[in-house]
Amino acid sequence: MTRFKDLYTEADTFLHRLDPRVKMASVLLLSLLALIMSALAYLLVLLTFIFVLLLLARSSYRKTAFAMKFVLRFMALIAILWPLFDPSGTPVLIRLGPVVITEPGIWRGLASAVRVGCLATVWYILIFTTSQRDLVRGLVKLGLRFDFGLALAIALRYFPTFGTVMESIIDAQRSRGMEFEKGNMFVRARKYVAVLGPAIVSALKTADMLALALQSRAYGARRNRTYLRELKMRPSDYVALVTVLAMFIVPTVAKYAFSVPI
Amino acid sequence: MNASVTARRLPIISLQDVRFSYEGGIEALKGVSLSVARGENVAVVGGNGSGKTTLAKHLNGLLKPSSGRVLVGGEDSSKTSVAMLARTVGYVFQNPDYQLFCTSVEEEVRFGPKNMGFGRDDESALAERALKLMDISHLREQSPVSLSLGDRRKIAIASVLATSPIVLILDEPTTGLDSVESAQLMATLDVLRSEGMTVVLITHDMRLVAQHMDRVVVMSEGSVALDAGVEEAFSDPDRLRRCKLLAPPITVLAQRLQAQGVLPKGAATPLQLVELVARVRGERQ
Repeated sequence: MTRFKDLYTEADTFLHRLDPRVKMASVLLLSLLALIMSALAYLLVLLTFIFVLLLLARSSYRKTAFAMKFVLRFMALIAILWPLFDPSGTPVLIRLGPVVITEPGIWRGLASAVRVGCLATVWYILIFTTSQRDLVRGLVKLGLRFDFGLALAIALRYFPTFGTVMESIIDAQRSRGMEFEKGNMFVRARKYVAVLGPAIVSALKTADMLALALQSRAYGARRNRTYLRELKMRPSDYVALVTVLAMFIVPTVAKYAFSVPI
Repeated sequence: MNASVTARRLPIISLQDVRFSYEGGIEALKGVSLSVARGENVAVVGGNGSGKTTLAKHLNGLLKPSSGRVLVGGEDSSKTSVAMLARTVGYVFQNPDYQLFCTSVEEEVRFGPKNMGFGRDDESALAERALKLMDISHLREQSPVSLSLGDRRKIAIASVLATSPIVLILDEPTTGLDSVESAQLMATLDVLRSEGMTVVLITHDMRLVAQHMDRVVVMSEGSVALDAGVEEAFSDPDRLRRCKLLAPPITVLAQRLQAQGVLPKGAATPLQLVELVARVRGERQ
C-alpha cells in the first residue's frame, strides 16, 4: 500500500497562501453547495471548477494520483449501484426480475457520483494545500481552545509515527511465528491482542514523555499566549472569501427563492 | 578437516546480489551478497542508515528482495512465509516493548513455540530451557511491563530462543543497558555461541564486536564495504572512518603502541593484545 507521512505538499500557489480560515470556510461552502444542487449539469460545472482548483494546487503527482484513484473508483461505484436500488420514475429501461432500472435512476446515480466527487476532491484540496500547523492555527484563531488545538496538532503529528510502531510490532510478532492471515475473523481479531497490547503501552509511554517535555519547556506557564506568526486577512483573502460566498449564495437563492431547477 | 566441521560450515543463510528499495524509491540495499555458515558469529556494523536493519530483515523474510535471492536453510525467502522461516531464524527486535504483551514472563516465552505448533510438552521444555539460558527463571510469574529494560530485553531474547532457531539475529541488543547488564547479556550470548548457535549481531558498539564476534560485515550506503575477520576489519582505521565507524579503544591503543614500535604488528582484539604483550614480555625475559 502507498503511504504518505502527510498529504500536504509544500508549494507556493495562491491556494497555499490563502488564510487557512478562508480555505476552511470555502471548503465548507462548496461542500454545502454540492449537497444543495441536484441537477447533473450544474454539478458537473462545480466539479470542473474544483478540478481546476486541484490542478492549480500543484500537489505532488503521486499524492494526487493516490487520492483521485480512490475518488474516481468511489464515483464509479455510486454511478453503477445507484440505478439498481432506485427504481422510481419512468421510462423503465430494463426489468430483470426484482431489478428495475429507469432513466431518471441513471441520471440521479450520475448526479450523486459527481456530488461525491465534488465533496471528496474539495476536502483533498484543503489537505493538499494546508499544512497541519496552519489548519490548527486557523481553528484556534476561530475560537478553538489552544490546548485542544495543540492536542489535535500532536495527534496528527503522531499518526505516521504510530503507524511505524504498529508495523514494527506486527513484524516482531510475525518473527515469533504469528500468522495474521490464518483463521476465521474471530481468531484473527484475537491475534491482534498481541499487537494492540504493545501498541497501547508504547503510546502511553510516548504520551508521558511528551507531557514531561512540554512541561519542561514551560507549557501553560502563562494564561495568555502570544504567537510567533499571527494570522492576518489580506485583501486577496477577502476577494477569495467573497467570491466563494457569491458562488454559494447566488445558486442557493435562485433555487429556493425563485425555484430555478438547479 | 573432518566431516562434522565441514557440515558446520555449510551456509545456513545466503544472499545473492540482493537489491531492495523502500516505497518512495530509496534504494536501501544495492546488490548485497553474503553467506553465513552454521555456527558462525557475524557482527553487522555500519553508520545509521547504512542498511544494517534492512539487511537483517531480509534474513528472516520480513522484507523480500526487490531483485536477487535470499536462501534461508535452502529455502527461497520470497516463496516462504515469515512464520515458516521463523523456525530457522529468530529475530530479536531492538525495542523489547514491541513484542512483549503477555501478563507473565512465562506466557510470553511460551507464545512463540505455541504459534509454531509444538506440543504442550515440547513447549514447556523449550520455554524452560530459554528461561534458564537467559537466567530469568525467577521472574516467570512477573509481568514483563513492570521489569527493567535489561530484564525486558532478556525476556524478548528468551521468547525468541524458545522457538529453537538455528540462527539468532539481535538488533542492537545492548542499547540502553548499563555496563553490567550489557556484559551479562554478552556473556549469555557467548554461552549460546559455544552451544553452536549461529549469531548475527547488529550493533554500534565496536568493543562488543572486538570482544565477542569472529567476523565483521561493514555496511556502507547499502553495500557491503568490508566482510572480514575481526582483526583484519579493524586493521585499517581510515577505511573504518570512511564507513562512519571507529575502531574499539583497545585496538586503537594497540595500533598506537605498534606505531611507536613498542609492540609488533598484529593485535586487534583484547585477547590478542594480551597474548601479544605476554609474548613480548617473554622475549625480553
